[in-house]
Amino acid sequence: MARTELMWDPFNQTDPGPLIEVVVMNSQDVMEAGRTLGLEYPGPIKMKALLDTGASVTVISKVFANHCKLFQTSEGTEITAIGATHHCGEHAGSISFPGTNLRQIESIRIVSAVFARERHYACLIGRDILRNWVITFDGRAKKVTIVD
Amino acid sequence: MTQAIILQKELEIFEQHRKEWSRIHPGLYVAIQDETVLEGFFETYTEALRAGLQRFGAGRSFLVKQIWTTEPVYFVS
Repeated sequence: MARTELMWDPFNQTDPGPLIEVVVMNSQDVMEAGRTLGLEYPGPIKMKALLDTGASVTVISKVFANHCKLFQTSEGTEITAIGATHHCGEHAGSISFPGTNLRQIESIRIVSAVFARERHYACLIGRDILRNWVITFDGRAKKVTIVD
Repeated sequence: MTQAIILQKELEIFEQHRKEWSRIHPGLYVAIQDETVLEGFFETYTEALRAGLQRFGAGRSFLVKQIWTTEPVYFVS
């Protein structure tokens, strides 16, 4: 059983939320198929991700999706955030959690969107990933525990 | 100058079949590249992706799409 702990102070208004370090890259399936054609893929890049129970899908900054050369599998997907609708791409990717023993999530759909003026994180971990975990929040200790 | 939409052709093919597919295979996934629709429908995104990679390779994008009567809008709050 994997387990990790994050610090989060919801009473501090400048705290963006529970953040976890992630590596987003192309799925193993895509890279294996691409390498047979001589394609090269960027190495892993770490970024901060927000555990977001309000996100129905996992979303990555379009800048990072392009930089990671994530394999695109759809276009025009609509997400709404605070009343505004955004047209997004969809990609096949994998997400791992360096520094923890949480299982890597392989070959999942990741939506790419423009993260306007967001400096704290480049990815939202949505309910499609959160559903795999047991997450508890200890308000007194300001600690989030994830059990996989 | 208009900008070409990625996977535009594939999305058009999907739209042409949406009504028929959503009646027979609602919730399943399909993979399309150019005008080629991969044989079979898939229970998960991952299955459709893997089948698409086997058939089309990873040289160019292909569409992997879940079949619904109307396109879902995802919420982020």
